[in-house]
Amino acid sequence: MRFSYVWREISLRKRRHLTAIFGLSIGVALLVVLQVLSRAYKDAARMPLQEIGADISIQRSGDVPQELQGAVFPCSAVTIHHQELAQIGRMPGVRAVGQAVLMWVFDKDQFTMVLGLDPTNPVGPGKLRNFVTKGRFLEGDAPQALVDVTSARDRHIDVGGMVTILGRAYPVVGLVDASRASKIAVANVYLPLHEAQSLAKASPQVQAVSPFDADDMNLVFVSADQEAIPALSTALRRLLGDKTSIASPDSFLRQLGNLFALSDKFAAATSLIVMVVAFLMVFKTIAGSIQERAREIGVLKCLGWTNGNVIGQLLAESLTECFLSGLLGLGLAWAVCFLLGFQQVKIPIPWEMSPTPHFLPGGGEPVFKVVALPAHLSWSISLFAMSLSLLVGGITSILCIGRITRIKPSEVLRHE
Amino acid sequence: MNDPILSATDVKKTFGTVEVVRGVSVALQSGEFVSLVGKSGCGKTTLLSVLSSLDRPTSGQVSLCGKEIVSASENELALFRRANIGFIFQSFQLIPTLTAWENVALPLFPEKMPEEERRERAVSLLGQMQLEHRLDHLPGTMSGGEKQRVAIARALINQPKIIFADEPTGNLDSQTGQAIMEILESLHREHGMSILMVTHDLELSKTADRVLRMQDGELVA
Repeated sequence: MRFSYVWREISLRKRRHLTAIFGLSIGVALLVVLQVLSRAYKDAARMPLQEIGADISIQRSGDVPQELQGAVFPCSAVTIHHQELAQIGRMPGVRAVGQAVLMWVFDKDQFTMVLGLDPTNPVGPGKLRNFVTKGRFLEGDAPQALVDVTSARDRHIDVGGMVTILGRAYPVVGLVDASRASKIAVANVYLPLHEAQSLAKASPQVQAVSPFDADDMNLVFVSADQEAIPALSTALRRLLGDKTSIASPDSFLRQLGNLFALSDKFAAATSLIVMVVAFLMVFKTIAGSIQERAREIGVLKCLGWTNGNVIGQLLAESLTECFLSGLLGLGLAWAVCFLLGFQQVKIPIPWEMSPTPHFLPGGGEPVFKVVALPAHLSWSISLFAMSLSLLVGGITSILCIGRITRIKPSEVLRHE
Repeated sequence: MNDPILSATDVKKTFGTVEVVRGVSVALQSGEFVSLVGKSGCGKTTLLSVLSSLDRPTSGQVSLCGKEIVSASENELALFRRANIGFIFQSFQLIPTLTAWENVALPLFPEKMPEEERRERAVSLLGQMQLEHRLDHLPGTMSGGEKQRVAIARALINQPKIIFADEPTGNLDSQTGQAIMEILESLHREHGMSILMVTHDLELSKTADRVLRMQDGELVA
């Protein structure tokens, strides 16, 4: 193989080779963009849960509170018993679990959404630690409160002040901007889990609808192995019953309803079609090139080039062509991915996961988590596309070996 | 007398039902310049391709430089041609994307040798052809005479034992053709090169030591 011959052939017979290079590069770019899009939507679908450190969130639906008075559970989040949590923790694929208690509190003159969280557990709303804007995060079980910045502004509360929930006064230790975090399990006031459990246990409205023990909860968060998530979802539903809402990256992906998000099969099938078309284009070019260059191949054989020498030369040409196509395709794909990175994805958060009473201003309106589409061109996809491109070159050359060997050196005299 | 460099016995070549070469027997001594003449379509180019190992006879035996070429494999023949034979064609058959020196060095490309050596050998031959100023030019920018001189240099790069020339002046004007014939003559006279030249030009054929006439696929007296 002689590279200067390869390079001259490609650079001096531009028309023939550029058609194949552009054709294959578009194929490579499409393949890469489809793969990146597919992965980007999956990553986007993972974000709402990722921001609370979980892969799965679990709630159980129940009856509507009989009276909107004192502490009540939203109908989308009734009691999950601590024995059930223990069973969840033992399920295969579960790495860690977190819990929370979400309540609507109807005091005399105001409505407050209260979330009890375990500040030491990184799985669940403990992640809000990263969104404290003033003061500090909750520590231990001491009675204290964290207030959402918007609520704090509306109610003229600041760090060092007090907030009263059902007659119990809590010192405000910090303000948190939950709007920057996940839209899941947001509240006006955040209390230590133990405090919230105590309030729920003491609430006759809670007990009337959904008996609650001191260690129970109504939100469970699970950190799990990615590949175990589908099986876990099924097992969780079996354990907790049909009224259970299980949110996972897959369920968010379905919410997105995007064509690319529908299935891996779609991306794989489209990529396959694209590559088959690109392959046929390269094959046609190389086969045509062999036909056109029959006399040249005959000359080489006349001059003592063996079939192996000729095949090596043409294989090098084909691989160089496909390598250039791969580079160009990756360049195009990078540009498209860069532009896609500016696209925003609105991920709908089901009402059940962020329940606000319908009678409140804005209550019941659809809630979205807006994220920039994480369209990143990874090394693995780049390497895959480049390998595939070279494979196309290799296979087409191998398929053309028969044609090359059939060309006789006497061909050159026949055309004199 | 030495063994002939080329000998063919009762060589026949058939395409389908058409017998193009009909039982030709011929021998060429080492250092001999032989021209093969005949009208267009009489089978002389087919005979040349069979005698030069580019094609196999339908029947008969061909011995070239001591090698029986009928039974040799395609790869063996390719390597044999690389080591022993030079070709000159009517249409020059230069590779359009390679420069003059690269075209000359083309038979050496598959050989493992330093690039410098390849280039030196090609440049030296192009110098002998008075083409030093055309080393890095592409064939498309050269005249017919220059192209044929590049082709002759290419035929000589592997120091062949025999040169097969198919109508080497066929695409050239008479003055340039004459110059090319002088080069072939000097190769024969000064370097003792064996040459088998196919031509339809009786005048040119007289340059050779011996003239073979072909008619309807057979050699005639």
